[in-house]
Amino acid sequence: MDIILNHGDLLLALAVIFGLFMAWGVGANDVANAMGTSVGSKAITVKQAIIIAIIFEFAGAFLAGGEVTATIRKGILDSALFSENPQLLVYGMLASLLAAGFWLLIASSLGWPVSTTHSIVGAIVGFGAVGVGIDAVAWGKVGNIAMSWIVSPILAGTIAFVLFRSLQNLIIDTANPFDNAKKYVPYYMFLVGFVISLVTIFKGLKHIGLSFPTDTSYYLAIGFGVLVASVGTIIIRRINIDPDENEDFYFTSMERVFSVLMVITAAAMAFAHGSNDVANAIGPLAAIYAVIESGGIIGSKSALPIWILLIGGGGIVFGLITYGHKVIATVGTGITQLTPSRGFAATLAAASTVVISSGTGLPVSTTQVLVGAVLGVGLARGMAALDTRVINKIFLSWIITLPAGALMSILFFFALKGAFSPL
Amino acid sequence: MAKSIIDGLFGKSPIRPLQQHMTRAHSCIKQLNDIMIAMQKQDWDAGEKIRTNISKNEQEADVLKKKLRMGLPSTFMMPFSRRDLLDLLLIQDSIANISKDVSGLICNRKMIFPKEISKDVVELTKYCVKTSSKALKAINELDELLETAFGDRERKRVGNIIKEINNLESKTDSIQHKIRKKLFPLESTLPAVDVVFYYRAIELLGELADSAQKVGSRLEVLLAK
Repeated sequence: MDIILNHGDLLLALAVIFGLFMAWGVGANDVANAMGTSVGSKAITVKQAIIIAIIFEFAGAFLAGGEVTATIRKGILDSALFSENPQLLVYGMLASLLAAGFWLLIASSLGWPVSTTHSIVGAIVGFGAVGVGIDAVAWGKVGNIAMSWIVSPILAGTIAFVLFRSLQNLIIDTANPFDNAKKYVPYYMFLVGFVISLVTIFKGLKHIGLSFPTDTSYYLAIGFGVLVASVGTIIIRRINIDPDENEDFYFTSMERVFSVLMVITAAAMAFAHGSNDVANAIGPLAAIYAVIESGGIIGSKSALPIWILLIGGGGIVFGLITYGHKVIATVGTGITQLTPSRGFAATLAAASTVVISSGTGLPVSTTQVLVGAVLGVGLARGMAALDTRVINKIFLSWIITLPAGALMSILFFFALKGAFSPL
Repeated sequence: MAKSIIDGLFGKSPIRPLQQHMTRAHSCIKQLNDIMIAMQKQDWDAGEKIRTNISKNEQEADVLKKKLRMGLPSTFMMPFSRRDLLDLLLIQDSIANISKDVSGLICNRKMIFPKEISKDVVELTKYCVKTSSKALKAINELDELLETAFGDRERKRVGNIIKEINNLESKTDSIQHKIRKKLFPLESTLPAVDVVFYYRAIELLGELADSAQKVGSRLEVLLAK
């Protein structure tokens, strides 16, 4: 107790710094994967991707990041066991931020693909189970999270498959793909706006103090969907068919219509990513803040302060501005076979899955969800060649990242404990 | 910089290389028409030049074939089976190979067909080239097929091209038959060794049309998956 009263400000300052660093890492590194399919399909330029990402990553983090943040903050550990020694929770969360941050630095310098989400979850479970005790971990909840890592890519793949098949039947494999694209694409735009806003209104906004009754929520979501579709329709109207460009390849004009749609979908993806990944940075920070603010009383019903969400969103944007453009350019250039129609199906499926996960409070890996979605389009015979070795890499990253995050957080935990509470 | 998982997910599409290979193979068979013209004129210098060129194109096709094979790991998930694609590649390659054999046979032996069948052989060659050019057209539809995710509509379009290929191939069969029937009564009046190689040349031309047809039918299998 004394430690929290005496060193509270210092600990909180450390937490803010580490949290900012993690958010920076999310913006600098992870956003590139989220935007990869949009840039890779050549529908948007790297510069546009950055601008879209800055706006919508922040919006996603701020408006819809609360639920996953709550999970990271108090869902993974059984906080009742910390009421005797609340400072342990503070050390542990600090250690988790440090561990995840360091692990990400090491892994990316070695060229290993890792997930921020897995690092932080592994880290929190690690210090909880070893530093405090096996019972400190809410294993049921952790089991759900682990399940969601398997289910989310499969769900995204299924949505992408269905979505792409509908595109194929309604637009692509028809006599007039261009006209049909102009006709049906607004409905898909509505879908994007509706899904994203509905989940956000239901689950996200309460964390910034807004809540609506159910029917109003639906009306608002429908209204937002219509708004997105209307703006899109106005832009699409201005696209004209150019018979020359379709001589070699019959679908060039049609793909240009999808490019417009892709801008909106990329925005949805950035929003979804922000809403889920911000928690990796600010979840631990929120936990530390709650302990220190209440003077060491665990489980007090303190709401998530808005400034913490702002720190998360701001950190991501900072990462994007300082470093993100380089990474986005690297990821985007290698992808040559992704056309806007494919990019759209995969990205929308991934964005929906991630936003739904955010609404349910499940921290998932955006990258892996995106991989699942692209494979879904591949299963619908929409992609020329996908390298399934990626699936091995994903499993490998689970096997390595979870223990690595755990191990490092245990080390940092004992180091911090030793530094602040000498026996 | 870490190579992103998303980046590693996308392999290099085999479709463009397959089309390039077929274009090369077709350029080999196409030059047989020129060989025939040179043969009719007895211009063996020109014939030799064309033969060298065919041989060069055949080697280029070989290089493309090897490159495509190397760039196609078994871990690739493609909208068709890898086996079918590699079979198709092999059949395409046989067009280039047989074209080289025909040009070699004619030029090395300075072959002159008896005037009774000479015109028919030229016609047979023309039809072989036509069959192959339809096969090339079908292969060039692969981008559109992929874009529609092998949709029914586009598959029907390609199905129609394949029908044309089959019709052209039957035409070559009947020309071959006609030539053989004309050649038989002449056999006793011609040097025996020459006759053997007339039959051989006609047979090779028939194989060429066969290969072109097989490109079509293998493509059909590839689409059906």
